[in-house]
Amino acid sequence: MAFHKGQMVRVLRRSTDESWEDYMDGLVGSRGIVTDPDSQINDPDALIEVSLEDKGTYRLPQDCLELLEPTS
Amino acid sequence: MSFSQCPVHETLLELKKIPADRRIVHPRGRRLIEEIATLVGDIVGARAGAEHLPCIDTRVAELCDFEDDPVSVEVGIWLKARLTEHDEVFRSHAANRNCAASVCDHLTPAPCQMACPAGIDVPTYVSLIALGHDDEAIEVIRRDNPLPWVCGLVCTRPCEMMCVRARIDTPVSIKFLKAFAAERAMSVGRYHNPRKTPTTGRKVCVVGAGPGGLSAAYYLALHGHAVRVIEALPRAGGMILVGIPRYRLPSDIIDREVAKIEELGVEFRFNTRFGKDVDLESLRAEGFEAFFFAVGAHASFNLGIDGENDFPQVHGAVDFLRRVALGERHCPGKNVVVIGGGNVAIDAARTCLRLGCEKVTIAYRRTRKEMPADHEEVEQAEEEGVHFEMLTVPMAVTGEGGHVGALRCLKAKLVTVPGSNRQSPKPIEGSDYDLVADAIVSAIGQRIERHWFDRMPDLAWTHRDTIRVNTVTMETSLPGVFAAGDSVTGPATVIEAIGGGKRAAIAIDRFLAGIPQPKLPPVPVRHQRPAYLDVPAHTKMTLKRPEMPLLSVDRRRTTFQQVELGYTENQTREEARRCLRCDICRRCGKCVTICKEKMGVDALALGYLSFDHPHESDFRYTERRCISCGACAANCPTGAMRIEDRGPERILSLCGTILSRQPLVFCATCDAVIGTERYLAFIRGRLGALVTPPPNADGPLCDVCARKKGFQGGATIMATS
Repeated sequence: MAFHKGQMVRVLRRSTDESWEDYMDGLVGSRGIVTDPDSQINDPDALIEVSLEDKGTYRLPQDCLELLEPTS
Repeated sequence: MSFSQCPVHETLLELKKIPADRRIVHPRGRRLIEEIATLVGDIVGARAGAEHLPCIDTRVAELCDFEDDPVSVEVGIWLKARLTEHDEVFRSHAANRNCAASVCDHLTPAPCQMACPAGIDVPTYVSLIALGHDDEAIEVIRRDNPLPWVCGLVCTRPCEMMCVRARIDTPVSIKFLKAFAAERAMSVGRYHNPRKTPTTGRKVCVVGAGPGGLSAAYYLALHGHAVRVIEALPRAGGMILVGIPRYRLPSDIIDREVAKIEELGVEFRFNTRFGKDVDLESLRAEGFEAFFFAVGAHASFNLGIDGENDFPQVHGAVDFLRRVALGERHCPGKNVVVIGGGNVAIDAARTCLRLGCEKVTIAYRRTRKEMPADHEEVEQAEEEGVHFEMLTVPMAVTGEGGHVGALRCLKAKLVTVPGSNRQSPKPIEGSDYDLVADAIVSAIGQRIERHWFDRMPDLAWTHRDTIRVNTVTMETSLPGVFAAGDSVTGPATVIEAIGGGKRAAIAIDRFLAGIPQPKLPPVPVRHQRPAYLDVPAHTKMTLKRPEMPLLSVDRRRTTFQQVELGYTENQTREEARRCLRCDICRRCGKCVTICKEKMGVDALALGYLSFDHPHESDFRYTERRCISCGACAANCPTGAMRIEDRGPERILSLCGTILSRQPLVFCATCDAVIGTERYLAFIRGRLGALVTPPPNADGPLCDVCARKKGFQGGATIMATS
């Protein structure tokens, strides 16, 4: 899955990626918007920036994210 | 503390239950608990001052020593433990007016502020800009971001992505407002540094003078530490200097903001490469106690195709942009092909045009829809004459006599790979062709130059070849060594680097003071709560986000002049007035529910309140239906919805947006305010069948005057026309 700027997403599950930290468990279930995907090569392994409603902006691994709307 | 609970709010709820639940009968115990509850209530309601927490501590101590009532002592001990355990959260609430859990209505930052990786207090500075107080706005911004002018031009603006106004029409142009205010404040000499704390005598070394390094240096200097920044390049700025072309960010702007950081006493050592000219041991020997690395990702990935290393006309995009940024103005070739579809590819292509290249083509292996570059950048490149070759896979660089002749390519089609919902380019057999070129720029990603850290074998790295850190404190695996920016996240944004630098500076300060580090990331701080600006509903709805005026295309193709020319003052002030003040309205929707379901009026068309399913919003709708009953305002938990009588009118406003303005009806005898015509009609509709209206010969009467004259009630039940 490659994400694009402006897509609505949900943090679906905790990630097994090494960049996942314990405090991020509290983000599971939050919804938000992709604010900075990998703007170089759309690498599915890259960490992407997501703004989560009421939680703030985090750079998260993509495997924990679920798209909430179809790709336009 | 979890994300869903707030210990301060919970303490308040507990305190309210305690006198009854624990059967505290002693009057002194009850009084103390009530006083503590009042003080905690002030903290939750954003009414606390500096003396609140010490006052609570005194009363809790008194409660603990109150031996006449063992139950009160028990409560005192419980409160003391709670205050100790959540000391930081209580302080954050009282001093910074922050509720990390978003439970305390008055203390929750707006979505734009929450979205900003540096946590800038957006609603406050936008309000100040609307008022024309640009210097104060810059002061607010620089509490969280030392580079407002730079960010005003190049920020990726996550704040605007979360802007609630976008659910009505378009987001507030937060980024450009910031640029305007910074330019104006700098121009009139009112761009000032905050006051520094006294010198601590501790030394911190910052490696890298990019946005992350500059941010850390700024906050460390403000904390009173002696800061030296070492930088491999001859000037400060890092990637914002050598990665962002001058037509997007003039270098003078970087210089002016860096000069402000230098004013704080930060020492810069340029042309000094960590790992070559200095290392950790030599810096430690000079007395540095903590280190912050923000070295960026300055190396280009290789294409991995034949001929790539055989010709001097094949350039990595990052190297190419760096040379141009540092003053090289050689045209790389007449016919240049840029490989890649990201922002760096677009920057490289547009830079080539400005250097005089006759034809510039971007070759990308997917379609335009999949291009990761920002759409605006792609559009501007297209306007300037950059060509695009989509579904093109580079195979080899060919040429003769040391000169590039062409890029051999294959056409591709997008196919869905099993197990993935992303379409991948599949080369079409036999479709190879030559894309004629005399220079090639590869822009397929950046990486960190890791070899400079060879003498730090204990520094942990991730599988992405980035420095591994705890993202709450930015601590690396080495004690006293912190890192942020692209070297931690991979190529990311300026504002993220600035936020990371700030977080690291706070953590370094705690490290030097021997204070334990926090376990959760910081929550943005609300610095002020500026008064509402009255804006009529019609104006609020009809003000549109202004188009950014751009330099003419001819000038854009030929010079490095700034493309975006900025808003005029009028545009800026009007744009700032579009802000919905989400720092106050939390979009709980209680007003809409009360108006529709309890009052049955349905006068609030506020569809934007829903994050998931925003529907039609129109502030003007209220004027047509509102009865000025005030039920919405009475039930608003944050004071965002207000109803007030001003002169002969009753005005309903939402964060300053005037939703309804209706003439008041006054008592004919005593001049007391009775209500509005619509409100009186509404009441008559409800009570008309129950009571007989009195005659209305002398004009409307209030209840008191009507009863004096022997009627059952006043104008609320009598005809007033």
